[in-house]
Amino acid sequence: MKELTAEDASLLELVDRLLNKGVVLAGEATISVAGIDLIYLGLNVVLAAVETIDKAQERRAS
Amino acid sequence: MTLLAHAIAAAPPATLSGEGLRGRPLAWSEAGDLGLWSTEWAPDIKLERPDALEHHRLVERICAAQSCLPVRFGTAFATSDDARASLDKRAVALRAALGRVAGKSELALTLLWRESPGPLPIETADGPGRRYMEARRAEFAAREARRARAESMVDRVVAELAIDRQLVWHETCTSDNVAVSLAVLVPTERAAERKAELEGVAARFPDVIPVLNGPWPPYTFARTE
Repeated sequence: MKELTAEDASLLELVDRLLNKGVVLAGEATISVAGIDLIYLGLNVVLAAVETIDKAQERRAS
Repeated sequence: MTLLAHAIAAAPPATLSGEGLRGRPLAWSEAGDLGLWSTEWAPDIKLERPDALEHHRLVERICAAQSCLPVRFGTAFATSDDARASLDKRAVALRAALGRVAGKSELALTLLWRESPGPLPIETADGPGRRYMEARRAEFAAREARRARAESMVDRVVAELAIDRQLVWHETCTSDNVAVSLAVLVPTERAAERKAELEGVAARFPDVIPVLNGPWPPYTFARTE
């Protein structure tokens, strides 16, 4: 398994919070972040990492 | 003018310098007794990775000036009216969430396994089917043992620090490396003291490397859904 350093873990924890936590509000613009896949959901958009949305869809389906 | 959202706070807004992301103007959109801090943005400007970290620093600055709910990075509104309408629609839940995190900060504890799972012992080797099943069984047992160990460490942290369970969020074994990812909401003025206590408890676990971060804005506890 690939070694995860303390610095890696700190950055991952922070990025996870920035992209997956916090208040989700409906917005109306599409913004892409270099290196992070974001998707557009309908007219009111919630921007999030694709993985997060995939997980949410899986939860709804199950 | 697009607005790139950073944080929600109670009106009136704290006095902050006028600079948002990349030095662009910081805006306040007020809706009733709530308001949204955002950067005046342009839809054709692509966000880059450093912008995420600058958003974090901005949210920290806002939180230091007044209690706030961090907004998920990348959320944008076409106009200030759209931002106000969004706040209005969820005002009750947002007010309740603000009340929960007022005066509090988040500490993040990550426990990394010191060692990879070792090779699994397989007791019988009668045939390929049997070997396969034995390997699967051993793998499952090892995974469950690690999960149980991770949960026991969470329980110990919560017990030793006498933390209210409602103020703790955690996940275990999210990857091969990570045993525990835990967030705890603490009073901001006691954050340094609680961090030291957390460090002391985590340092006593021989099989993991503790990584402590924060105090951060209360990202994990800002959810309203």
